[in-house]
Amino acid sequence: MRTFLLVIGVALIASTAAYAHHSYAATYDVTKEVKLEGKLVQFVMRNPHSFVHMEAPDEHGEMKRWAVEWGGTTQLGAQGVKRESLKVGDEITVTARPSRVPGEYRALMLSLRRPLDGFTWGTRSGEAVD
Amino acid sequence: MKNVLLAVLAVIVFAGVRGSAQPARPAIAPDIAGEWRLDNNEQDTTAQPPLGDYLGIPFNDAGRMRSDTTAESIWGTPEYQCRPHSAPHQWRGLGGARILKEQDPLTRNVSVYHIQFMRSLDRPVFMDGRPHPPAYAPHTWTGFSTGEWVGNTLKITTTHLKDGYLKRGGPQTSDMLTMTEYLTRHDEILTIVTVTDDPIYLDEPYVESTTYTYDTTSTVATETCNASSFAENGGTDRHWVPHFLPGQNTALGEWLKTSEWIPVEPTRGGVKTIYPEYRATLNGGAVKVADLKVPSSKSANDVAKRLAESSPRDGEVHILPLQGNIYMAVANGTNLTVSIGADGILLVDTGDAKMSDKILASVGQLASAVLANPTANQCFGANCPGKWGWSSPYIGAVISAPAPARPLRYIINTSAAPERVGGNERIATTGFFPRGSQFGGAVENVGPRASVIAHEEVLNRMSAPAGKASPMPTASWPTDTYFDEFHKLPEYVNGEAVIVYHAPNATTDGDSFVFFRHSEVIAAGNLFSTVSYPVIEVDKGGTIDGVIGGLNKILDIAVAEYRAQGGTWIVPGRGRLSDTADVAAYRNMVTMIRDRVKDLKRKGMTLAQVKAAKPTMDFDGRYGSTTGAWTTDMFVEAVYSSIQEKK
Repeated sequence: MRTFLLVIGVALIASTAAYAHHSYAATYDVTKEVKLEGKLVQFVMRNPHSFVHMEAPDEHGEMKRWAVEWGGTTQLGAQGVKRESLKVGDEITVTARPSRVPGEYRALMLSLRRPLDGFTWGTRSGEAVD
Repeated sequence: MKNVLLAVLAVIVFAGVRGSAQPARPAIAPDIAGEWRLDNNEQDTTAQPPLGDYLGIPFNDAGRMRSDTTAESIWGTPEYQCRPHSAPHQWRGLGGARILKEQDPLTRNVSVYHIQFMRSLDRPVFMDGRPHPPAYAPHTWTGFSTGEWVGNTLKITTTHLKDGYLKRGGPQTSDMLTMTEYLTRHDEILTIVTVTDDPIYLDEPYVESTTYTYDTTSTVATETCNASSFAENGGTDRHWVPHFLPGQNTALGEWLKTSEWIPVEPTRGGVKTIYPEYRATLNGGAVKVADLKVPSSKSANDVAKRLAESSPRDGEVHILPLQGNIYMAVANGTNLTVSIGADGILLVDTGDAKMSDKILASVGQLASAVLANPTANQCFGANCPGKWGWSSPYIGAVISAPAPARPLRYIINTSAAPERVGGNERIATTGFFPRGSQFGGAVENVGPRASVIAHEEVLNRMSAPAGKASPMPTASWPTDTYFDEFHKLPEYVNGEAVIVYHAPNATTDGDSFVFFRHSEVIAAGNLFSTVSYPVIEVDKGGTIDGVIGGLNKILDIAVAEYRAQGGTWIVPGRGRLSDTADVAAYRNMVTMIRDRVKDLKRKGMTLAQVKAAKPTMDFDGRYGSTTGAWTTDMFVEAVYSSIQEKK
């Protein structure tokens, strides 16, 4: 019976909802957070997930092209984000979960802020990538 | 307790299937068509297990290693961004299921069921008794499924699946898995028992069940995927292959930090850990795991046989039509690529010398069937200007004297390996390529033979300077060589551009692959095999980085048709017909092994120490060999000796 209790225990532990085709918890280190400050170079609003590409320094100060994963078009659209909301060249500040794989420059969006006009995402209820 | 019940149910279903007491088909088969809602009352239907949780999975060491080192970030590579869920996980993916049925208009029997999910391709289940394809046919995400009624249960057998995962976020499967599903309807409840048989990574088949409820209000949405070709993994390297070196995936035990009561060993999977007998080993029990006996079942899936059948060395030539003008010819285990059309025949590689006559016969027969196929006259009298009368080609068909197909025009050798150039001498002399001073006539000293195109290093390997003995006879040498990054054939062949790309220092220094630009087919030569590790001849300029570079170049050119499958077909040097996802899987495998060997070498390990560390262990069951002309040891040695460190 202990074996089956183990299985049930795991099922409870694993109850974090995730609906992406890939697993966020397996892709990103959900215990860590990085802050990226730099220039937006590409905004791809698409399914299954959108991406904000930005140039920002890594932990060694070396400029890298980061791919920050965001919500799909349905989620972002419902939260007022449009394809034109972000422009190439925008100075933005992003907080994100880093990849679990060393050497990768991908991250999962937690928040985005554009100081110029105060545009923000990630601070209101429901603004979490699902 | 639910898992216990499900396991018992699975056993009952098995027992019912294996017994022959029930009729093959009920008088009135249950109708399973309709909209079905997934009942989220079972493990991992709404979430994935944490990283490193292999509880209940009968993993062997290879499966464990493969899962530990495969990063979920692999989804970010351009080739995998639109990948649907793997077949073993599909019933547990969210979004419900829709089952449609096609009926034979005469008998009104169901001829095909179509199963659809939110993140899947349409999956046909053929009920009409058709056979499964040959082993050298392509694998897909949904595989090839046939169904039969066993009592009130629909038994579905699926082969030809791509590699993937048992569950999201970790446990991997190989492309040698087969899947058997048992669908049983009880009023409004549909129970699906899935048996995943993957002897590469599992010590016994993995069984799980899922429950759906009939729901007319359920709608299966289509999740669009308009991912593009940029790598989602950041940086600027589109060929980046994310993975963990063995022992360096620190996330595997994270979930146990908050669940210290769970012993680690069963979380690593293994056939012994999933049986109740295992309890006797817990908490300092009297029984040691090594001594534990469990009633495990064996795989019914003979991988060695299937791999052999995907590259049959049976002395015969098997033809598989691809698309456009192109056909794949499996000649005693060596794959050739054939273009057939109005301009004649183009052959990529010529196979073993001893197969030449059979290759000529098969290709000739194919060309006649394609180009001179008798058809009834559709063109009459004055309505058919230029074609009516006794000179009409239809008359030739009526009197069974069609014009012969155009001759062999071109041969392209993808390397100097014997199975690539072996038939050059015999086969080239049956062809014709106009050259010389007589404006289209053949020159006597060249002879009426086909043009043989190859990279110049192929000619260097096959010939010798004047006064020295040549390794191959003159008549087998390439007649037209190139030295650049690529070589475009000077004019269309059978209505399309044909481009020969050089893959520098790959399996040798003279490797090429051939792209048929309109037909969307790539002949990969020895760069790519679905039955072995790449045969890298270091003494002939081959390197592991060159192989990876060549595979990446193929991936840059090839395009998937939809949801990361189909589209550009890639003919491997040996093994089954493939697409971009298959090449990506192979590229990922060799990249992972290259990085592992490089890491060990950097640590100062000798070749013997590297071999002892088994850096290929998780792929050996699939691509390795301990006997024959190309063993795993030889491959590791080639990787070790050809690794280039950046300076």
